[in-house]
Amino acid sequence: MGFSLGVVIGAVGVLILSHAAYATSQYRGLLKITEDDFSGPPFNVVVELIVGLVLCMWAALAVPGDFLSIHPHSDENRIVSLPDNLDFMIFNHRGKVFVPEINMRLKR
Amino acid sequence: MAAHNESEKKSSDSVNDLQTFRAENLQSNMKVIYYSRTFLSIIGGVIAGILGFTGLAGFVLYFLIMAITSIALIAKAKFSIHAYFDSWNRVVLDGFLGGLMSFVLFWTFAYDIIDSFYCPAKIAEKRALLFADGSAGKAV
Repeated sequence: MGFSLGVVIGAVGVLILSHAAYATSQYRGLLKITEDDFSGPPFNVVVELIVGLVLCMWAALAVPGDFLSIHPHSDENRIVSLPDNLDFMIFNHRGKVFVPEINMRLKR
Repeated sequence: MAAHNESEKKSSDSVNDLQTFRAENLQSNMKVIYYSRTFLSIIGGVIAGILGFTGLAGFVLYFLIMAITSIALIAKAKFSIHAYFDSWNRVVLDGFLGGLMSFVLFWTFAYDIIDSFYCPAKIAEKRALLFADGSAGKAV
C-alpha cells in the first residue's frame, strides 16, 4: 500500500511539473511575440514548481523502500523468531525427555 | 551452561570490536539512497530548466536540493545514521557527482524544450495577427 501510494504521489508531482513546463513555454512564446525579455516565470508556475518538488521528494523517499539495520545483533536481523501459533504448540510430551542441544537466540 | 553463555558473550563482544555489519543490508540502503538522489536530481534539473536558470544559479539550486535530500534521508533513517550506515559520508556525499550529471542533462533538456516550444514561423504569424494595423509593436 505504501509503495503504490508513493508511486501515485510521484505521478501527480510529475504531472504538476509537466503542467508548469507547458505554462512556462506558453508564457515564453507570448513574450517572444510581444518581444519582451524573460525575467522569471509567473507566480502560479513558481507555486506549481514548489508543490511538484514537494510531492516528488515524498515519492523519492517513499518508493525505494525502507532502510535495513546493519547491526548484526539488532532485533530486525535475528534469524530465529517465534512463530505466531505458539498457543497450539504442546511441549509437555515424551519428547522432553530427549531435549536436543538447542543453540539459538530467541527474539525478545 | 554458564560457561557457554560466557563464551557467547565474549564472542559477541569481539564481534562488536571488529565493527562488523550486514553488508547486504548496507548495500540495500545505498541502493535506496542512489535511487532517491537520482530521481531528485532529474526533478531538480527539470525545475531549473523551467525556472530558466542559467550559469551558477542552477548549480546553487542543485546544492540546495541535495542538501534538502540529505536532511530528508537522515530524517528517514530516524536520525540514527549508524544503525543503517557505516559513516556519514554514505548519506551526505554518495551519489552527489552522478546526480550532478543527470541534473545538468535534464536542466539543459528542459530549458531548450521550453524555450523552443514556439517555432519562429508561428511567432511571426502571431505577430502579424497581433499587430495587423502595421504598428509592429515595439521598434525592432
